[in-house]
Amino acid sequence: MFKIGRLCIKITGRDAGKKCIIIDIVDKNHVLIDGQTRRRKCNVKHLEPLTQVLKVTKNAPRTEIIRVFKTLNIDIKETKPKKKAERPKKTRKKKERKEKLPVEKKKTAKTITKTKPETSKDTKGAITEKEK
Amino acid sequence: MPRPRYRSRSLRRVQKKMPGGKTKQVYVKKKPGLHKCAECGAELKGIPRLSATKAKNIAKTKKRPERIYGGFLCNKCARAKLKQEARLSKA
Repeated sequence: MFKIGRLCIKITGRDAGKKCIIIDIVDKNHVLIDGQTRRRKCNVKHLEPLTQVLKVTKNAPRTEIIRVFKTLNIDIKETKPKKKAERPKKTRKKKERKEKLPVEKKKTAKTITKTKPETSKDTKGAITEKEK
Repeated sequence: MPRPRYRSRSLRRVQKKMPGGKTKQVYVKKKPGLHKCAECGAELKGIPRLSATKAKNIAKTKKRPERIYGGFLCNKCARAKLKQEARLSKA
């Protein structure tokens, strides 16, 4: 029943009521369809087969399907991927800021602790030199 | 006796607890009825229960399913109808 080239009507979803052709058989329950609908995988339960079987190659390209549907007097929109227009980048207005004078930080306990690992690094380096 | 405008039944009456602890009768607007399938009468899903004035400001896609017969037939009836149409078109 559901073989490649079979004309069907889709019963469910937003493409319901539109005609399509089976292009490929995925598994026991699923087929690949294209036509007035979008090109997509579809459950067999969501299709109603018609009597017509058209000559279509397996995994036929969109151009071939448009040509086949013209023989049925059905026009399909040719969908071309839109060229992406570059978005204008948002630029923030820079406010003129008053230059702040650099403030000397007072030495706290934290700053002292930070200095400690530096000394340890030096010792590590010394070890590696020794190893060499 | 309630106020004259509250005497009609166009507003719903609800018993509500007030912050002071007393219960009081409050008048609330009624919700519009459910949308139903034209064929089997089942409740239609995906349709908000809004008054006409509020539904006006909502996008069309949010008011009904994006399907053929969406908002008129339920999905089961729509499927059956499309099947029938397809079979009749064979002959």
